[in-house]
Amino acid sequence: MSVRRDEPAPDIAGPVGPYDEMLTPEGQVRPHYAALDARLSTLTPDELAERQRTQERFFLLQGITFTVYGAESSTERIIPTDILPRIIPGPEWARIEAGLTQRLQALNMFLADIYSEQQILMDGVVPRELVLQAPSYRREMHNLYVPHKAYANVCGSDLIRQPDGEFAVLEDNLRVPSGVSYMLANREASRRVFPGTFRSAGVRPIDRYPDLLLTTLKSMAADWRGNPQVVVLTPGVYNSAYYEHAYLARLMGVPLVEGRDLVVHDNMVYMRTTTGLRRIDVIYRRVDDDFIDPLTFRRDSSLGAAGLFNAYRAGNVVICNAPGTGVADDKAVYAYVPEIIKYYLGEDAILPNIETYLCREPAQLSHVLANLDKLVVKAVGASGGYGMLVGPHSTKAQQDAFADALRADPGNYIAQPTIQLSTAPCLIDHAVEARHVDLRPFILSGEKIVVTPGALTRVALRKGSLVVNSSQGGGSKDTWVLSESKGDPK
Amino acid sequence: MMLARVADSLYWIGRYVERAEHMCRLSDVMLNATLDRSEAAAQVARIALAAVGDPDVAKAKNPYDAALALALDKDDDGSILSSISRARENARQVRDQITTETWERLNLIYLRMSDPEAIKSFEDGSQLFLHDTIADLHLFKGAGDATMSHGEGWSFLLLGVYLERAQLIGSLLEVVFGEGRRRRPIGDHFALTSVLRMGCALEPYLRAHTADMQPRLILQFLMLDEDFPRSIRFCTQEIEAHLSAIIRHAGMAGSVGPDRLAGRLRARMQYADMGEIEAQGPSAFLKTVLDECAAIHGSLYDTFVAYPLEDRLPA
Repeated sequence: MSVRRDEPAPDIAGPVGPYDEMLTPEGQVRPHYAALDARLSTLTPDELAERQRTQERFFLLQGITFTVYGAESSTERIIPTDILPRIIPGPEWARIEAGLTQRLQALNMFLADIYSEQQILMDGVVPRELVLQAPSYRREMHNLYVPHKAYANVCGSDLIRQPDGEFAVLEDNLRVPSGVSYMLANREASRRVFPGTFRSAGVRPIDRYPDLLLTTLKSMAADWRGNPQVVVLTPGVYNSAYYEHAYLARLMGVPLVEGRDLVVHDNMVYMRTTTGLRRIDVIYRRVDDDFIDPLTFRRDSSLGAAGLFNAYRAGNVVICNAPGTGVADDKAVYAYVPEIIKYYLGEDAILPNIETYLCREPAQLSHVLANLDKLVVKAVGASGGYGMLVGPHSTKAQQDAFADALRADPGNYIAQPTIQLSTAPCLIDHAVEARHVDLRPFILSGEKIVVTPGALTRVALRKGSLVVNSSQGGGSKDTWVLSESKGDPK
Repeated sequence: MMLARVADSLYWIGRYVERAEHMCRLSDVMLNATLDRSEAAAQVARIALAAVGDPDVAKAKNPYDAALALALDKDDDGSILSSISRARENARQVRDQITTETWERLNLIYLRMSDPEAIKSFEDGSQLFLHDTIADLHLFKGAGDATMSHGEGWSFLLLGVYLERAQLIGSLLEVVFGEGRRRRPIGDHFALTSVLRMGCALEPYLRAHTADMQPRLILQFLMLDEDFPRSIRFCTQEIEAHLSAIIRHAGMAGSVGPDRLAGRLRARMQYADMGEIEAQGPSAFLKTVLDECAAIHGSLYDTFVAYPLEDRLPA
C-alpha cells in the first residue's frame, strides 16, 4: 500500500495550505521522516491496525482512562492515541527550547513584579486594569515570598506550527497544566510499536521527567528543609486527570494526598498517616486556585484544606504552582507577552505570538466585528475549547450571537486569525492520513528552568477539524525529538 | 509511614478480593451440584445460598440463575462483579501504592467481568468462567506477593484478606454445622465433599484424614488445622503476624488495642479442644470467633485509620 495520503490536505482558509510535518510542498518526504516512512511502506494495513489495537490495549490495561458519566452508568474510555510518532529534528527543537526557557523566565519575573512592586504597570507596558481586574489575579499573593521567584513550577505551553514552518505560541498554561502522563505513556507505547525505527532514529529520552519534577519541587523548600517532604494533591479519583496524578506520585515516590488527608495546625500542614500526623513541606497541587483553601478562596470547596493558604503565607509550606499564576496566561495578557519579554530581559521573543486583537480596544473591536466570519473569537476566561467561535466554520446566527456578546462585554474577548495548524500523518481506519496537530512541551522551573526534550502532540482526529482538545474529539501521539545531529531543520 | 486513607483502601482491596474468590467457589460448587438430581444436590445448593447470605430458599430450585445473578448482577452489592468493582475502585485510589504488575491483574479481571460479553461467556461455560476468575484472583495475589514491598501496605492488604477469610469460613461452618438451623444433619458423602470444596479444602483434607468423610473431622479441619491456609486458626495466625508487623513499622511497640485482640483470638484457636466445642455446640464457639474478628476490625480503625486528631497533634 502507499502511505502517502491520496488527497491534498483539507484546504480551509486562504491559498496557503497548512505545513505538512512529513512532506515538503513538492511531495518529498522530509529527511527526518524518512526512516518512519520506509518502515510504514513495509507494513500492511492490517499489520498497522493490529499495532494500533495493541497500543489501545496497553492504555486500557494500564488504566490510562477517563470516565464518561452517562445518565445511568458511567463508562471508562481511553483517550484516543495514534501510533505514528510526530518527529521534530534536533536543531528545530533547540530553538523551541530556547524560546520556551526565555518565555517562562520572563513570565516568572512578570508574576514576581505584579505581586510586589508592579513596576511594569507603572511604566505602562501592560495596562494596569487588565492585570488587576483579571479574575485570575490573586491579591492574597501580594508580597508573598516565592523561592527563586519560580511561580509557575510546571508550565505546559501550546505551540503550533504556522504555514511558513515557524513555531508560535498559542497559549501558555501556567495554572495546573496536564497531559504529561500521556507524553510518557505514548512514549512507552511507541517504543513497543516501532522498536527498530525508534532505536535508529536517535530519539532523545524523556524518562527523567518525574525525577526532574521532584528535583524542581524539592528546590522550592531546599533553603529551609534538608530533605523536604513532597506530596501530590489531587481532587480525587473522579477527576479526569486522576490517572496522571497517581502516575506522577508513583514515579516520584511521594504520597498522593487528597484534601481530606490534610490537617493544618498552628500554620503547619500535616497529613494523616497510620502513625499519626506527618509534616508536609511542598505540595504539588493539581487542584485549581479556587479550591485549595475554603478559608481563603471558595468557601464551598472540600478539595483543599482549611488554613492551607495561611500556612503558605507563613512560609511553612510551598504550594506549586503558586496561586495566582493564571493571570500570566490570561488570554488578554497573552497579547503583551512579547513586550513583557522585552521589558524584563531586553531581548526579542524567540517564539512569536499569534496575532491577537484585544476587543477591549474600540478600534480592534470594530475590526473584529467586521471580520467575524474569518476570525477565531475566544472568551478570556474560558479554556478547553469552550466559549469559542471559529469564524469560517460558524453559521450567521452564531456570529450574530457572538457579536451581541462582544458589544455587551468587549473586555471579555480576544480574537485571532484562523490558524492553520500543521498536519502530521495519522493512522485513520487502516490508512495513513493527514490530521491537524499542535505541540505541548512541558517546562519546569525551580532553582533553574528545564525543558524536557519531548512533548504531547495533540491531534484533531476528525477530518479537517482544528480542535485538538480531548474533550472535543482530540487524541494524542508520541513526539520524537531527535538528538542535535540527527534530522535536517526543514 | 503511609496515609491512613491508603491503608484503609489496601485493607478493603484485600477484603473484596477474598470475598469475590469465596463467592466464585460457592457458585462453582452449587453449579456442580446441579449436574446431579439427588436430594443431596438440592441440599448443597441450599447451603451455598445460605452461606452467601441469601435468605431466599426458592432460588435453590434454580441454582443456575442464582449463580448467574451472584456472579454478574451489577445492581446487587453482594455479587462477585460488585466485589471486584470495589476492589478495583479502591486500587485506583491507591494506584501509586501498588505495583503496575499487581494493578494489571486486578484491572484485567474487572475488564473481563464488566464487559458486555461477560454474560455470554458465563452462559457458554459457567464453571469455566468461575474457574478462570478464581485463577485470575490467584494471579493477582501472586503478582502482589512477587512484586510489592512486603511492608506496611502489604500487611494491611493481607490483614483484609485473612480477616475476611476467617469470617467467611466461620459463616460457612455455622450454616453447615450450627445447631440453630432446623435442618437434618449432613451425612451424605457428596454433600460433605461439597462442603470441603466450598472451603477449597478437599485435597488437603484427604491428605490429612484420607477419604473418610466425617462431619466432626471436617469441622475440626476447617476450624483448627494449623497448616491449611483456609482454616480459621491459620487465618488468626496470619492476622496476628501482620498486625504485629504493622505495629513494628509504626513504632508503636507495647500494647495497642488490635494486637491484644488478635493474640487472644489466635490463642483461642491454638488451644481449642474439639471435645469442649462439641459439648457446648459449635454455634457458641463460632459466634465468639466471629465477634472477635469484628472487634479486631473495629479496633484496627480506631488505632490506624479513624483515630481522634486531638491525640496526635504536636504539643
